[in-house]
Amino acid sequence: MGHLYTTREQFTPEQLKEMKGKYTPPELVCCAGSREVEDREVVFVGIGISDLAGAIAKLVHTPNAILVAEAGYIGFPSVAVLVSPADNSAGAMAMCHQSLPEVFIDQQSGFIDAAYLGFAQMDKYGNVNVSYITGPQIRMNGSGGGGDIASSAGRVVYTAEFNPRQWVEKVDYMTETGFADGSPDARKKANLVGGGPSSVVTDRGVFRFDPGTHELFLAEVFPWQDEEDIEDVKKGIPWDLKVADELKVLEPPTERELWALRLMDPTGQYTIANIMDRPLGKIIMEGKFNLEGYNTFLELSDRAIREVLDFVT
Amino acid sequence: MVIQGLETIDYEKRAKDSDYKKRLNKVMTEKEAVGTFLHDGNSFCMGGFVMWRQPQSIMREIARQGKKNLSIIDESGDFEGIDLLVELGMLDRIDIAYSLTRQVGGISGTPALERGLKEGIPRPVEAGGVMATPKEKIESGVPPVKIVDWTNFEISLRLMAGALNVPFMPCRSSLGADIPKYTKDIKVIDDPYENKPLLLVPAYKPDVAFISVQRADRRGNGQIWGFRGTDYWKARAAKHVVLITEELVPTEKIYENPGLTTIPAYCTDAVVHLPFNCLPTGCYGYYIGDLLCFVSLLLQRQSRDGALEWIDEWVYGLKDHFEYCNKLGWEKIDRLAKSEHKLNRIPG
Repeated sequence: MGHLYTTREQFTPEQLKEMKGKYTPPELVCCAGSREVEDREVVFVGIGISDLAGAIAKLVHTPNAILVAEAGYIGFPSVAVLVSPADNSAGAMAMCHQSLPEVFIDQQSGFIDAAYLGFAQMDKYGNVNVSYITGPQIRMNGSGGGGDIASSAGRVVYTAEFNPRQWVEKVDYMTETGFADGSPDARKKANLVGGGPSSVVTDRGVFRFDPGTHELFLAEVFPWQDEEDIEDVKKGIPWDLKVADELKVLEPPTERELWALRLMDPTGQYTIANIMDRPLGKIIMEGKFNLEGYNTFLELSDRAIREVLDFVT
Repeated sequence: MVIQGLETIDYEKRAKDSDYKKRLNKVMTEKEAVGTFLHDGNSFCMGGFVMWRQPQSIMREIARQGKKNLSIIDESGDFEGIDLLVELGMLDRIDIAYSLTRQVGGISGTPALERGLKEGIPRPVEAGGVMATPKEKIESGVPPVKIVDWTNFEISLRLMAGALNVPFMPCRSSLGADIPKYTKDIKVIDDPYENKPLLLVPAYKPDVAFISVQRADRRGNGQIWGFRGTDYWKARAAKHVVLITEELVPTEKIYENPGLTTIPAYCTDAVVHLPFNCLPTGCYGYYIGDLLCFVSLLLQRQSRDGALEWIDEWVYGLKDHFEYCNKLGWEKIDRLAKSEHKLNRIPG
């Protein structure tokens, strides 16, 4: 499998404009992200968007990939999006149920080829902060397994909606080591075994790291991203972002990818932008914390799971 | 706010007087188990992993019994339960990797911890070795809650070192990152064999481990289905182990699937038979987590007043876990079980 590219020339300006309005940012991130792994690879998935990318890959592009969830689930067909790495949907029809330290032991011994992660703050050498923003007062979620994965996984694919606030010259707190100070052997000097970050997939293009300087650059864009749009992306990043000489054009989300995405997240927990448009949001707004609310909400998930099970069995 | 006391049983004396691990029948009530093994100033850990198989009823029981100066260690912990104890000022130190503080839609997953960070209520918070709460907000004489950051694997390795009875474990996580800079208990050394950087984490031996299992017998053989988290190591690192089980079965039933016995009887001090004890988290093969309950309780707990009201209603206002289930409604609990049974079912 791998990447899906296209050319801009085959679309009229009207088509491009129409295309742009068709997808939500999370859809773009998940679908483009799903093309970052190869078949037969062992792929560590996170939660939310960083799980959806892996789930789409497994259902659509890389049927022989082995998905791994942190809590100890190995080789699952991906039945529903993971809200937690310990979710029952990762345990269903898995190849192996094991434990959290065993997953990280396997990772430290080099079995994990690629990992999907999200991030709160990133600098130009792919160092990531998910701990504290500005000072100890504003606490984010903390490392979780991110610090371990960034240290030892074969490569790390970061997935997130593009947000200018996420990019900084220097991270406030380096939770996950990327290429540290960017010097050629920084990771080796620190004795890190993993390959470090390989790409950052956003709804405003895919960023990669220069093999020599380890600096982040814009490598791929969606067909509707013209020069103006790319300028805007550059404005959102506090350093002088480099752009690839031959910028590749990403195929927009395919029908198949979107099908998988909707099956994985039937309640739109991660794909419906406005929280109050999601089924869960509606139930909250109506204050329906009664049995009826439970039935409405759970029936959606149950139905989607049945459909996936039909597909994978 | 009324704090319900315990009946006058000298639990501490009892724990010293008999060796619980050698008993043939270790069945106790939840109240007895928490009272017997967890004392003021103790450290403890909970089994399971984010939103699954975490004995949340135990957290509410700890709150009811009004324990003080506790320390907790957990990977990506039972954030709702930890936050409950933070709200009540019961925790002195939290060793954690992931706290689910930032949630989708601006709802805080750990509102009490955030209040501590910003306003020093109920207690100021020290993070990464420095006082995070602004000086002017700190009331004198109120000791801070210390929050110490690790990665998931580092927390596992600390418990593993505790279980292996060695002072530390080495690993390759967090090298070059800031966690070792702020978490002073971590040491980065040049390893004596290859002379390359290596990260060491110190052992941790909690006083008590509370672990939810799907099945256990009276002697304390605990069987786990689905992911095992770090429960194997927690059960061996802790001085006392309390199993909270969905099903209490005869030992014959344990013999049928001995490979699933993650925690053998010699680890166990007490067995609490308490179906649905993980609610609102889920239990593999039995029931899914109660997301709607999570959302509604978090919404209520965003403010200090709302949180105290919630605690009065859902913790102090209820005698035990059975009353909790009654209040939640058995129809909803059955619905959660139905959803799980469609996907996973524990055989026989």
